[in-house]
Amino acid sequence: MNIYVCIKQVPDTETKIKLNADSSWIDTAGVKWIMSPFDEFAVEEALRLKEKNPGSTVTVLSAGPARVIDSIRTALAMGCDSGVHVEIAETADNNLAAKALAGALKKEAHVDIVFSGKEAIDDGAAQTSQLIAEYVGIPYVTVALNAEYGSTVKVKREIEGGAFELFEAPMPLLIAAQKGMNEPRYAKLPEIMKAKKKEVKLLKMADVGVSETDQKIRYRNLQLPPPKQAGKKIAGDPATQAKELVRLLHEEAKVV
Amino acid sequence: MTWQTFAFLIVASGAFGYSGYRFSILYKLMKHHQGKAFRLNNLPARIQTVIINILGQQAVLKKRAAGIMHTTIFWGFILISLGTVEQFISTLYAPANFEFIGQNLYSLLVKVQDFFTVAILVAIAYACYRRFVIRPEGLGKSRDANIVLTFTGALMVAILFMNAFHILGQQPWYASAMIFSEPLSRWIANLNASQETYASLGTFFKWVHMLIVLGFSMYIPSSKHLHIVAAGPNTFMRTLSREKGMKKINFEEEGIEQFGTGKVTDLSWKDVLDYYSCTECGRCQDLCPAYNTQKPLSPKALILDLKENMYRNKQAILAADYASVTHVIDEHVTEDVIWACTSCRACEIACPVFIEHTDKIYDIRRSLVMMEGRLPAEAQTVMKNMENNFSPWAFSPSDRANWAEGMNIPTMAEDSNVEVLLWVGCAGSYDDRNKKVLRSFSSLLRKAGVKFSILGTEEQCTGDAARRIGNEYLFQTLAQANIDTLNRYRVKQIVTACPHCFNTLKNEYKDFGGTYEVFHHSQYLARLIQEGKIKPTKAWDETITFHDSCYLGRWNNIYDQPRSVLQSLPAARVVEMKNHHDASMCCGAGGGRMWMEEKIGQKINVARTEQALETKAGIVASSCPFCMTMLTDGVKGKDMQEKVRVLDIAELLDQSV
Repeated sequence: MNIYVCIKQVPDTETKIKLNADSSWIDTAGVKWIMSPFDEFAVEEALRLKEKNPGSTVTVLSAGPARVIDSIRTALAMGCDSGVHVEIAETADNNLAAKALAGALKKEAHVDIVFSGKEAIDDGAAQTSQLIAEYVGIPYVTVALNAEYGSTVKVKREIEGGAFELFEAPMPLLIAAQKGMNEPRYAKLPEIMKAKKKEVKLLKMADVGVSETDQKIRYRNLQLPPPKQAGKKIAGDPATQAKELVRLLHEEAKVV
Repeated sequence: MTWQTFAFLIVASGAFGYSGYRFSILYKLMKHHQGKAFRLNNLPARIQTVIINILGQQAVLKKRAAGIMHTTIFWGFILISLGTVEQFISTLYAPANFEFIGQNLYSLLVKVQDFFTVAILVAIAYACYRRFVIRPEGLGKSRDANIVLTFTGALMVAILFMNAFHILGQQPWYASAMIFSEPLSRWIANLNASQETYASLGTFFKWVHMLIVLGFSMYIPSSKHLHIVAAGPNTFMRTLSREKGMKKINFEEEGIEQFGTGKVTDLSWKDVLDYYSCTECGRCQDLCPAYNTQKPLSPKALILDLKENMYRNKQAILAADYASVTHVIDEHVTEDVIWACTSCRACEIACPVFIEHTDKIYDIRRSLVMMEGRLPAEAQTVMKNMENNFSPWAFSPSDRANWAEGMNIPTMAEDSNVEVLLWVGCAGSYDDRNKKVLRSFSSLLRKAGVKFSILGTEEQCTGDAARRIGNEYLFQTLAQANIDTLNRYRVKQIVTACPHCFNTLKNEYKDFGGTYEVFHHSQYLARLIQEGKIKPTKAWDETITFHDSCYLGRWNNIYDQPRSVLQSLPAARVVEMKNHHDASMCCGAGGGRMWMEEKIGQKINVARTEQALETKAGIVASSCPFCMTMLTDGVKGKDMQEKVRVLDIAELLDQSV
């Protein structure tokens, strides 16, 4: 099987986000970059599928600036066989990234299945996976909790209200992983060593048929969320408290 | 040649041949181990430790009654063995004996031998009383031990009767020196048998004795009694100093394909000598916090199980077919056993033959983590945090110095011309409770006029937890980054309020190019008080009990300084818990357990808190951030937080100044 995983490199969850001088992007100085946690489930799922189907290969793809190579190596250390890095600008949007990754996938001779995380934890847009599938022209299931791989693939996905949907789709398809799909493995040392020597193909935008014009969103004047306000304690007997609460909700919070 | 010479030659060569063959297998098994062991250094200290602990039995005597019993048997065995050798020689060639040493000396030898024959019988009686009546849990049930006691007892009885009949049959000139056998002979004389009969019975008991000795020599290799051969060398080759760092792995070295212990053969020959030395006394198990809270780990069982694993793989090991050796994790040494250890080292310090249990556990963890990725999910999270945020807790590295807000403590980048660097550690940096400890300690340093800086956001986790969890690779990454920073500022002195940081900085960084004079804050504060730079004045009219941190006490032998800080507090009454000093009980947080869930048995921190509460002290004093967390949780768990406070020694002192 030819298995593919698309991952995104994002700032570590504990990063204190700061903006750059003209508020057009975040200040990337001192940011610790990691593989988006949902993508770890995708990598793990890909590796488990490979282990069940000897002779398969797992290729990891990521679009972004030069730094994303580190996250590709992380996936290689977990056990992926080779990598593809599509170089796009730091500030590229989901559309450009998706089209670039789709372009890279279309260059591959044969794709059986593509995995990705259901969303990246930086912008939380949750649309790149679907866009990739659209551009490649394959079905997709997102927010997947588990999958049974046979002549077709049966995928259980989580929907609102704690309910689930069961989809059946033929290969090739794209599955976007939800947290809980598996327990991602911790990279073994020999694999970390081997990962340093595994092949990572570098592709430019032109190689995958995308250009600046594929970027539909440009960022201007980003703003940090307002700092969290201290809580308010309403004093008095229950009747006064209730009255005051309604007044605050109505006049200050404007929700009732 | 008499019939005795002839018979003895045949029987002895058979017995010694078989025994020698069994010993040669044990030796070969040892030599086939792949791991590296240290080389011998410091011979005078090694000879000294053998004199003190083998001849002087110091370590054995740490347990009074059992120690006296063992010392009696040990010295009796040595002296009586001289007689056994003489007996063997004279059986081969009758005129040969030890009488050439002179009449006085020879009769003295005979006297002490006779004395010890009975002394050993008394010791054996006590051993039986202990084993079958008192039945200490650590001792367990052992058929092997029963056989050894029976053998030894039978030997002594045989000697007594041999001597008594010998006196009656031969009337030797030294008969009166046999202070127990001689009276026995007079009692036997009531039988009024002929001299020939007595002589024959003397020969009979001599043969009984010799055959038991020969039988014993064949039995020893598969018995815990093997310790009589192995414990001496093991003591001679022990790790001499109390302070020890974990064994460094050189990742640059070409050709290493196995990191840590995946199979018993990945351990070293010294580990095998440890197995051979174990006499199953159970002192390790008695003090093990994991064992005592129903975890599957018993340090004693671990050593025996590793030995069993080796024996099970004997054929493959002797054939050097290491690929066929089975995994070190088996039905006895389970992953739960390996993860239960808190690295408190109570087992090692208690061991009378200097077995090093923790080294084996932590080397097995290395293989589980680095080679196989088999580790608890929580441990994985901790390592990711250490990789990404340089702290076991998920906090931003940019917030590392926030604890010091408003205190105007300079960073090394701002002022590196200082007496000492304050190493804050991750707990002091991020944990709300321990931030207060760091603020108290910094305030004390200020009051004492000590000029100090911190590294601020340049500090990273020392890597202690990564190393104990088994990720040597991550540990070395963190260590190297810190050492680069410390050396860039030419740091000479470091003080820290965390015993884990202390141990790593002091005993482990030197293997990676970081040599510093490192102090724990208890040492630093004790000195400042002694020098009169800190004068506690306000009274603490309280009973305080001090909880020993393992990495301060057992790992670095620092027991007095934290106590002296407490004793300097006016009006304070310092009391000890049931378990303290070397016998102290771990809080449960060491060995990376701080970040792992405790799913099996009673919670270690609760068990330790119960010991603290037994003292009725109003304050439990700690000197370690992890102990602080564990004991605070323990006190809350016991719903005693209204009555009992857990405070760091620095907080207690700061509030008194």
